[in-house]
Order: sequence, then C-alpha cells, then structure tokens
Amino acid sequence: MFEKIFFLLCLSTALAEQLCRPEASDGYRVRLSIKTALGDEAYVWNDNEMFLFRATLAFAMRNQISGQEFEVSNIIVCDETPRVSFWFVVTSPQNTSQLVDKESVEEAVRKSRNRINSAFLLTDKTLEFIGIPPTLAAPVNPDTPPWLIVFGLVMGAVGAGIIVLLASSVVQKKRKNDEKPDDEEIDEETRVKTVENSAASEGIYNRSFSDDERFTHM
Amino acid sequence: MEKDARPKWDSPVQFVLACVSYAVGLGNVWRFPYLCQMHGGGGFLIPYLLMLFLEGVPLFYLELAIGQKMRLGSIGAWTAISPYLGGMGLASVVTSLYLCLYYNIINAWSFWYLFHSFQSVLPWAECPINANRTGPIKECEQATPTQYFFYRETLDISSSIEENGGIHTGQALCLILAWIITYLFIVRGVKSTGKVVYFTATFPYVVLFVYLIRGITLHGAINGVKYMFTPKMEQLANPTTWINAATQIFFSLGLGFGSLIAFSSYNQYNNNFERQAIVVSLINSGTSIFASIVTFAIYGFKATVNYENCLERTRLLLLNAFNLAEDSITVDTVYDWIEKLNATYPEQFAELNTRLENCDLESELDTAVEGTGLAFIVYSEAIKNMPLSQLWSVLYFIMLLLLGMGSMLGNVTAIITPLRDFKVISLAEGSVLLAGLVCLFCLLLGLGFTTTSGSYWFTMFNDYGATFSLLFIVLIEVITVSYIYGIKRFEKDIEDMLGHRPNWYWKIMWTFTSPLLLIALFIFYIINYIKGGTPTYQAWNKELGKSVVTEYPVFGQVFIGLLLASSVSCVPLTALYVYCRKRKHGGHHKRQRTVSTISA
Repeated sequence: MFEKIFFLLCLSTALAEQLCRPEASDGYRVRLSIKTALGDEAYVWNDNEMFLFRATLAFAMRNQISGQEFEVSNIIVCDETPRVSFWFVVTSPQNTSQLVDKESVEEAVRKSRNRINSAFLLTDKTLEFIGIPPTLAAPVNPDTPPWLIVFGLVMGAVGAGIIVLLASSVVQKKRKNDEKPDDEEIDEETRVKTVENSAASEGIYNRSFSDDERFTHM
Repeated sequence: MEKDARPKWDSPVQFVLACVSYAVGLGNVWRFPYLCQMHGGGGFLIPYLLMLFLEGVPLFYLELAIGQKMRLGSIGAWTAISPYLGGMGLASVVTSLYLCLYYNIINAWSFWYLFHSFQSVLPWAECPINANRTGPIKECEQATPTQYFFYRETLDISSSIEENGGIHTGQALCLILAWIITYLFIVRGVKSTGKVVYFTATFPYVVLFVYLIRGITLHGAINGVKYMFTPKMEQLANPTTWINAATQIFFSLGLGFGSLIAFSSYNQYNNNFERQAIVVSLINSGTSIFASIVTFAIYGFKATVNYENCLERTRLLLLNAFNLAEDSITVDTVYDWIEKLNATYPEQFAELNTRLENCDLESELDTAVEGTGLAFIVYSEAIKNMPLSQLWSVLYFIMLLLLGMGSMLGNVTAIITPLRDFKVISLAEGSVLLAGLVCLFCLLLGLGFTTTSGSYWFTMFNDYGATFSLLFIVLIEVITVSYIYGIKRFEKDIEDMLGHRPNWYWKIMWTFTSPLLLIALFIFYIINYIKGGTPTYQAWNKELGKSVVTEYPVFGQVFIGLLLASSVSCVPLTALYVYCRKRKHGGHHKRQRTVSTISA
C-alpha cells in the first residue's frame, strides 16, 4: 500500500520535473530582488514564500481562464537559485501532464500583475517576469501643459508692466502740455517787463557757435 | 542751450553695475570652466590673470575713456576721433546686431526650461514612454533623458542644417517674451536700464553663492573640485593655452561691441572711470573663477553619481547572469567579483563581456563640455539628481536668465545709442519708438532661430558672427587711438576728464603690448581657419542618439563668409566713402567756413 503511494509520488514529481525544464517553451523565468526593494525590512525567501507565489499565480490563472479551477499544484517551479530566481510552468487542471500555452500565462500575469506585486510588497522592477514587459503607466496628459500656465502668468505680468509704462508716459505728456501754455504766458509777461524796465534785453541765443563745439578738438 | 540734454546715469554705481551686468554673462559660466579643465586646472589661472593685466584692463579702460570723452555712441565717437575710421563704429553696430539676433535665443531656452521646472517630476528626469507603452522612446533610450529633452522637446532639432521644418511654437513664444522684457528694460534708455541693473548685476551672485553651498555639500563634489584645482603645469607649455586665455579675457569683457562706449557716454564728464575699469575687470574675472568652482563641484557630483550608477548596473548584471544571492556583491566589491567570476566561469564571462561597461570616475570627470551643452544638458542632469530638484532648477535658470538679460541690455544699447545720436527721431518719445522698432526687427529675424534647423544657424552665428570681427575692430581701435589719434592727445583728454595723466603702465600697454597681442591672436585665428579646412558643426543624429561632426554645405560656408565680410568690410568701405565725399565737397566746405568767421 505504502509502496504504491510512494511510487505514485515519485512518478508525479518525476513528471513534474519533466514538465518544468528551464528555458523550455511554455514557462517563464521569475526574478525577485527583495533586498533591493525592501532593504532592512526584507523577508527571507523560503518555502512558505514560494507557496504564496504559486497560490498567487494560480489566482491569476483563475482570473484569466474562467471556469477552470487552477490549484497550487498546477504551478510547477524548478531551478531555484540563490539570486531568488526560478522557472515556472502552469499545467492545465483538466490534464496535469499538459502545459497551458505561453500566451495565456502571459495574459494572466499581465492582468493581475498589480495583485502579484503587492502580495510580495514588490514593484514591476523588483519582481521581474523575464519575457513579460510590464505595461507602463499611461503618461498623464493635462489639458493645458503646466509650462504654458507659468508662461501665461509671466507674460501677463510683463504686459501689465508695458501698459503701466505707456500709460505713465501719456500722463506725463499730458501734464507737460497743460503746464506749457502757462509757462509761455509767464515768459511773455517777463519779456514784456524786461523790455519796459531795462534797455539790455536777453537777446536771442546764437546757435552757430555751440554746434561746432563737438567737432573742433583744439 | 541743448534741448535734448544727454540722459545720464543716476549715480556712478549704476554705471558700474551696468558694466558688471554686461560683462558678467553666460561665457563666465559656460566657457571659463571648460577652458580651465582643458588647460590644466589651477594652472590655467596663470595665463588668464596675466592676459587680464596685459590686455583686458587696458582695452577696457580705453573704451570707457573714448565713450566718456566723446559722449556719443560708437559711430559718432569714432567719426569724431578720425572721420575716415567711422566705419569702426558701424562695424561694431553690425556685430552687435548679429549678437542681438542670436543671443536672445539662449534666453528663450532658459525661459523654456524655467517654465518646465514647475512640475512634480522634471521632464528631463525620465524618458517619456513610447506609443505602445512598452518602454521609453527609442531616441531617448539611445541618448540620455536630458539630451532628449534638449534636442527633441526643446529644439525639435532636424538632422542637418539643410533640412528645415516649421517654427517651434513654444520656442517662438519664449523668444517673444524675451524680447518684450528686453524692450521693457531699455525703453526709457538709461533711466530704466539704470534701475534694472541693480537687480541683474547682483542677484546672480546670490544664486551662485547658494549653489556654491549646495554644490560643495553634494556627494562626490570634492572629486570635481580636486580635479579642477590640481594644476597640470605641462599645459603651460602649450601655446593654445595662452591663446585661449587671451581670447577668453577679450570676449569675456565684451570689448569691441560698442556697448562700453555707449554706457560710458552717459557718464558725467569727470567720472573716475580708471578705478571703475579696474574694478569691473577684476569682478568679471573673479566671477569666472567663482563660477568654475561651482561648476566643478557640480561636475564632481554628476560624475560620481554616474560612476556609482554604472557600478550598480554592473553589479546587477553579474548577479543576474550568475544567479548569486542579492547581498553577495556590494558596490565596493564589484571589481573583485569580476576577477573571481572571470577565473571560475571563463566562458560565461566571455559572453557577458559585450554588455559589461567600463566604469571609470576619471573618464566621467574628463568629459569636458562647454557652451549650451554644459548649461542645458550637464547642469540639468546634475540638478535632477539633487533632492528638491524643482527648487534648484528654478534658481539655476533664473540665474542664467539674469546673466543673459544683463548682457542683452548692453548689446541692444550698443545699437540704439548710435542710432539715437543721428537724431533720426529727436524726441523723447521717438527713442521709445526706435527701441521698439529695433526689438521688433531683431525678434522677427530671430524667429528664424526657432525653426528645427535654427540651432545649427545659432551655432554658426555663435562661432563666426562676432569672433573674428571683434578682434579686427579692437585691433584697429587700439592702433587708431595710440597712433592715428595720438597717445599724447589721448593722455590730455584723460587728464581733462580725470585730473591726472595715465601712468606709464597704461601707455605701454596701449602702444605696444595690446596691439602685439591682438595681432598675434588675429594671425592665429586666420591660420587656424585656413588649416581647419571646411568648417564643421555638430549635427544631432536621431538614430544614434548623439551628435556627429558634419561639414557645412556650400550655402552655409557662403553665409559664414558673408557674416565675416559684412562687419569687417564696414571699415574700409566707410573710409572710402568719406574720402570720396571729402573730395567732392572739399571746395564748398572751405568757402562756408570763411563766410561764418567774417559775419561773427
């Protein structure tokens, strides 16, 4: 009795080993970088963690192929290394000697990638499925690019500066124009006064000498 | 009584700050550290300081003296000194015009980077994802994210100067902004410029100081500073070192553009410009040295980060290839492990060899970069690795903007002052209009630099637009003043203004040393130009993700020739024109003179 059970167990493990061959066609290599991700809080990789991995993968396969009940025993792992990397294959629950094809496994992993990562407190970079590139997050495209907003602010400020400048020059001109007629009247009065009061008038300034100043360097 | 009294600076301090703001520009930040690195670190200071005293300060003094004495812009001032050589002023204006056209593009780029710094993740920190969302864009992967951001997103560069796309709207907007701000600064002439320079001259030093503290406290900065200051004295034997020192002093002080003449023409007649000339020149050189300490601290940081990243990548590669436990190889033991693994698994290791990078700190430090590459690529790469990178990025690009805008003030003033002197439009409002027209004109032509091949045209202008013509102009300047105008007359003018004659040091520099040095530089440039063969430029190759050396096409070379000829030929052409005019009107003029003396 015991011999039969023993024989069956040996057979199943032998079969499993045959199914799971590293770099064979229907499996994937997994690589975990626990220490890189968690540093001091890294957990030790042991058989229990491996069990969790197989269970999570079975969960992913169940999500992908509805109707089929994948069990932990359907996920076969081999070639474990100290790096913490290993090869896995998935067998079909209906026929344990048949492997599920690569595409379905890939789809399953892709869909549930987030759940698998969070089960191990890892990220896409630290839990790698070699051959399944992670789907990168979609770039956030805001309606107005942020730089345009800052540009608008600065341009608005500069525009306001120009308007203030032009307005102040117009206001200054107006003030000058208002003062000018007053000045002219005052000038005329003083001139009339000087003519009346004194013989020596101011005279008209003769420009012909002052203009030459610049060009004669003696 | 003059109706349009010449505007003046509110105080001599404004004049000094204006000169500092003009002279201290982007070249201090991005050219001097490069030269320092190429020519033996601390040892380069010897030729640099020597050239400062032989050539820089005397020529600076000369230009200030001429401007303050003649109280006119460059065209008027040189015409007054010697009517045949008024073309020098015109050549200065033409060169300043070329400079204005392309210099504001740098400010536009600084604005672009500044506006893009207001994001949670700096856009040049990571590669954008491609359309399939499988990985980064290929061009970005080949190059680095910072290079990609500069060449693709900022410039949208084409693969050669011949290919042209449309205008990059973002760039065009930033250029318009840059020109509007420049207009605001100069619209009221020295009244507005005088107030602005208080800020543009002093704030960059605040930022440099803050960056110095930040830079020195960065991890690995000490490697860079050590690398810079270890003098390699054998470089002093190389003539190129001395030539580069002379050229750097020359261009850094901004001689020959007419800006210094323009600035000093607004001075009081008795302003003590002798002391100011020495002060500004020393401040300029001091800033170069200060900026290079900061740059080398940043270099050291960047090199160390890259080196450590390289080691980390190698470590991962070894771990993954040989399936060793994660903590068996640390960053420090990578090289030991390489030897061990090479010994134990030679075949596997040989397969790996192609992917294995050679991580070397020295070679990272050796990558000497200058110009826009340093300012926009290397620095932004360093900034993205700093904590609180947005803050440092904003500070840095504000500093670049202030340095660039400060220099633009001088450049535009150099064009507007001579035009104003011609009394084209004599009213005060006319100068507002004139400034606006000049800015508009430069803006419209400058839009050409925002096209996809615009960056190559920028490089052409940068390399050929001002270098040769300036040497020529300043050489003629110093020969004119020393020999044609006469050093004795010049001495008397200075005595008139300052109250004392210049001492023997100045006179020897003006009559012998500076002209000789300039002639040597001039000859060197010509020889270099002839020996260099076809002029080349760096074209960005999209597929390879790096720059390749390409020759200028025929129209490019013709344009270079035009650039050089157009400013240099102003001098002989104007001399010829004046000579012809004098011959024609010589008789009339003499008769007029006799009439006026009789009536008086």
